[in-house]
Amino acid sequence: MRFLALGVLGASLAVPLVLRAQDAGFDPDVKPIPKSYVVYAAEAQTIAAGKTAVIELHFKVQDGFHVNSHTPKAEYLIPTRLTFEPTAGVKTAAPEYPAGTAYSFSFDPNEKLDVYSGAFTVKLPVVAAPGEHKLSGALHYQACDHAACYPPKTLPVEVLFAAK
Amino acid sequence: MLWAGWHNLRERRLALEKAQQNHVVLVPDGQAGDAPGDAVAVAQDEPMKGKPAPGFTLVNLEGKKVSLSDYRGRPLIVNFWATWCAPCKLEMPWFEEFRQKYRGQGFEILGIAEDDAPKDEIEKTAKKINVTYPILLTDGKVAPAYGGVDQLPMSFYIDRKGVVVTQTIGLASKDEVEANIKKLVAASVAAPMTAGVALPVGAVR
Repeated sequence: MRFLALGVLGASLAVPLVLRAQDAGFDPDVKPIPKSYVVYAAEAQTIAAGKTAVIELHFKVQDGFHVNSHTPKAEYLIPTRLTFEPTAGVKTAAPEYPAGTAYSFSFDPNEKLDVYSGAFTVKLPVVAAPGEHKLSGALHYQACDHAACYPPKTLPVEVLFAAK
Repeated sequence: MLWAGWHNLRERRLALEKAQQNHVVLVPDGQAGDAPGDAVAVAQDEPMKGKPAPGFTLVNLEGKKVSLSDYRGRPLIVNFWATWCAPCKLEMPWFEEFRQKYRGQGFEILGIAEDDAPKDEIEKTAKKINVTYPILLTDGKVAPAYGGVDQLPMSFYIDRKGVVVTQTIGLASKDEVEANIKKLVAASVAAPMTAGVALPVGAVR
């Protein structure tokens, strides 16, 4: 009985530990930002100091949605775009966006769109002085699902990296 | 030296945790817990149904003021759209077609461009898709008055008494759009307006 009790106690302690391990890096008190359809995966990166290096920024479009690529097929469509604020000790070049995927709404197969869905990575060439750096920026995008579109959104982005 | 290295590592970890505050699962309003791609199910919600259509006065593409109350006693669709919204531009020619078809019953459409695009761009888009019904420019207040238009297209079918009888969110089929218009027009024919009795559109009972 004692072993059983210990087992139950052990199991009850183990579950939160497992959950904590899975949720590493996520603050449970941080509430989801409403009405956003893209997630940014912040990752600390290390680059060589004083020469051009590429930082990768990983994003994921929520399942069931898509956003226009950086080069949508029509002028009226709002492109996905990454902007950064100037940061001391870091020079950034123009971000390199991935190619989009061809997409058509089922209700309008003639209109060809160029979109990101699922995971996509934007590469940012930088030259940084030695040390720890934080780039603050934003991803601007406009999402749709299979039947509706959502107003343009801005997702704040913080990039942390060390230049050595 | 070792201490400085550990301290830097800790600082980076804390900063990373802060940066990860955007690293969250984000879902559209009302979809929490639903399976992905359930937008159609959400599109069936009609929070404004049965409520008086909120009144507004907006400017059209010709620069003239247009009020909802100008259309009192007429079956009407108020359709929110934007230049960047592909599904919106697909259904707008349908609205134009049905406007001509049901014109005899007093049916009208008001398209509100819920858009930051310049007026020229909105005008160009409306012309390109051959829309001739009134296109009005948003004032930023009309969408919140209609419950917050956070998806497009969004349409409100308003009967001659000024009550929202149907609300559609997202693209419906052309048949569905016509069925909703028929229902709206038939109700108006079944209960013709009597002068002096009808309430202004947007009036609160």
